[in-house]
Amino acid sequence: MKEGIFKKGRLKILFLAIVLRLLVSGFLYHPDIKTFNFQSSFLKKGVVNIYPYLIENRMSLPLKEEFVYFPLSYFVVGGYQAIVSPLLGQGLDNWLANADSVTSVTDPNIFWYLIFLKFPLLVVDIAIAFLLLKFFKDEKDKEKAFTFWLFNPFTIILIYAFSNIDIYSVFLTLVAFLFLKRKKLLSALVFLGLAACFKAYPLIFLPFIFLKAKNTKQKILSVLIPLFILFLTIVPFWSTAFVQSALVSGLTTRIFNPGILVGFGESIMMGLLILSALFFSVWLHKKDINLFNYWVVFLLIIFSFSHFHISWLLWIAPFLLILIVKNSKLTWPVVLLCMLALAIPLLYEDRNMTISLFRIYTTWYDLLPTPFAVMEKFYDPYNFQSILHTLFAGGAGVISYKLLSEKKD
Amino acid sequence: MKKLIWFTTTFILFVIFVFPALMASTINMTPSGVQPGYKYDIRLSIYKERDIKQEFVSREKNLTAVATSIRNPNLKNKKEIILNLYDENNTLLRTSLLSGKNIEDGDFVKFVFEPINDSADVKYNFTLSSPDSGLGETIEVFIIEPTGEVLNYTYGEETKEGGVPLVTFHKPSTKWEIVKRVYSNLFSRLL
Repeated sequence: MKEGIFKKGRLKILFLAIVLRLLVSGFLYHPDIKTFNFQSSFLKKGVVNIYPYLIENRMSLPLKEEFVYFPLSYFVVGGYQAIVSPLLGQGLDNWLANADSVTSVTDPNIFWYLIFLKFPLLVVDIAIAFLLLKFFKDEKDKEKAFTFWLFNPFTIILIYAFSNIDIYSVFLTLVAFLFLKRKKLLSALVFLGLAACFKAYPLIFLPFIFLKAKNTKQKILSVLIPLFILFLTIVPFWSTAFVQSALVSGLTTRIFNPGILVGFGESIMMGLLILSALFFSVWLHKKDINLFNYWVVFLLIIFSFSHFHISWLLWIAPFLLILIVKNSKLTWPVVLLCMLALAIPLLYEDRNMTISLFRIYTTWYDLLPTPFAVMEKFYDPYNFQSILHTLFAGGAGVISYKLLSEKKD
Repeated sequence: MKKLIWFTTTFILFVIFVFPALMASTINMTPSGVQPGYKYDIRLSIYKERDIKQEFVSREKNLTAVATSIRNPNLKNKKEIILNLYDENNTLLRTSLLSGKNIEDGDFVKFVFEPINDSADVKYNFTLSSPDSGLGETIEVFIIEPTGEVLNYTYGEETKEGGVPLVTFHKPSTKWEIVKRVYSNLFSRLL
């Protein structure tokens, strides 16, 4: 407040930004929001360990999916729902439990349900806009970062069309990097650990923080603190059901895709190979690394060499934004990279990535072909995805090289 | 900065209010409703001269397709599947042919034909057959109790109430009509 973060000009654009977000929240629908909210609705009914509950009661439940997120997601989503569901009445629970793909989107209250259920995402999204101000000293840079975050179509679609709960993890990693910037390693590690309680990917970055740490004590803490925090939140729920549903679920392990076969079922994983080379290079050359740049490079490597889920793209969004505010020459290359990255999952053979997002308007859109099917008529869509992904990887490689060549911030 | 605000605001408003209209304008037929539910274990086989005759009502004008779920176990049937559409006096009106090799097991299959303009609330019959298929190449249709649209069916010598869980499709008179219907339905739910 003392910096005047709620300046008049900011409030004006903030209002417009919220209106745009509410529109996307209410009108675009990805079925994941119904699935994980249905699962999290059991918290208000007293179910603490959701993993075995869903498996044991699968036969009697209308939605059969397992809970693929970590326990903290269950408590955050379920806790929020417990607070707002009295406002929405029994209708919300009926809608969440409705397995019919047609009547669930023609429900007259769906707009309000979506706006209410996506509201926590809006709060965190706006919090990120204000958090970004803290990364800059110059007023112009602050305004740029604030406006770029609130008015870039990428994150609005990524967060609200796809009901992206990875935003919690993104917010916490951003807080962690703010503490790193302020040389508060312990606080940063706590927030990195908390971020990992929603999505495990920040843990893969720990080896680089380990290298950056100044002494043995810091090095040990840099690994122990995040792992201990994650350990605390998952141990009470540890079971075969948890391991299979969340810990080794397809989404968690997809980062480590097999790459070049070396025989007898073994393969070299490209992304991991490059991350490992980067780690050993820093270690052996005793480089004093810029953790922020390495984090961006780390994420670019993951996206370059894995069949990523569209929601993952949010992981890197605020960090790329900081990068382009600091170095405006990178703006258009980064925008092009974002467009390539977004186009790849939109071409997956999955209606929910494109056409079905609009099913609230009418289920007649089920009659329309997906971009994948349209492309199939004149070119192999998998090949086209590969072309886009290769172009992305090439661009990401050059930007990574530039970032790694930069001297310490 | 102002340009970015304008661009993103326009983009989002386009996605929310204009893009759905553009998508709607590419729809060339609309279903009369939702396919009625069916039980997986109540079904009839179609092969050689074993066909099914179905009486139904078209609820809207411009009837242009009839669709139902078809089983093609192990994708064995690669022969022609024929839908002949008749009026109440058994005059053949339309014929639609599909190849079994394009039908996956359990697919919701649409038999498309030239639109029949004055089809609103008119009774029709269709036969569904696959005369070149042998016993190992049967396709199967599901059978349900009668509904407002599905009246009765004849299989072998027997005629019974009910029939295949079908959906009729209708060609919109204009592109604008379909856009109007999508938005009026949306806003009637919203307001």
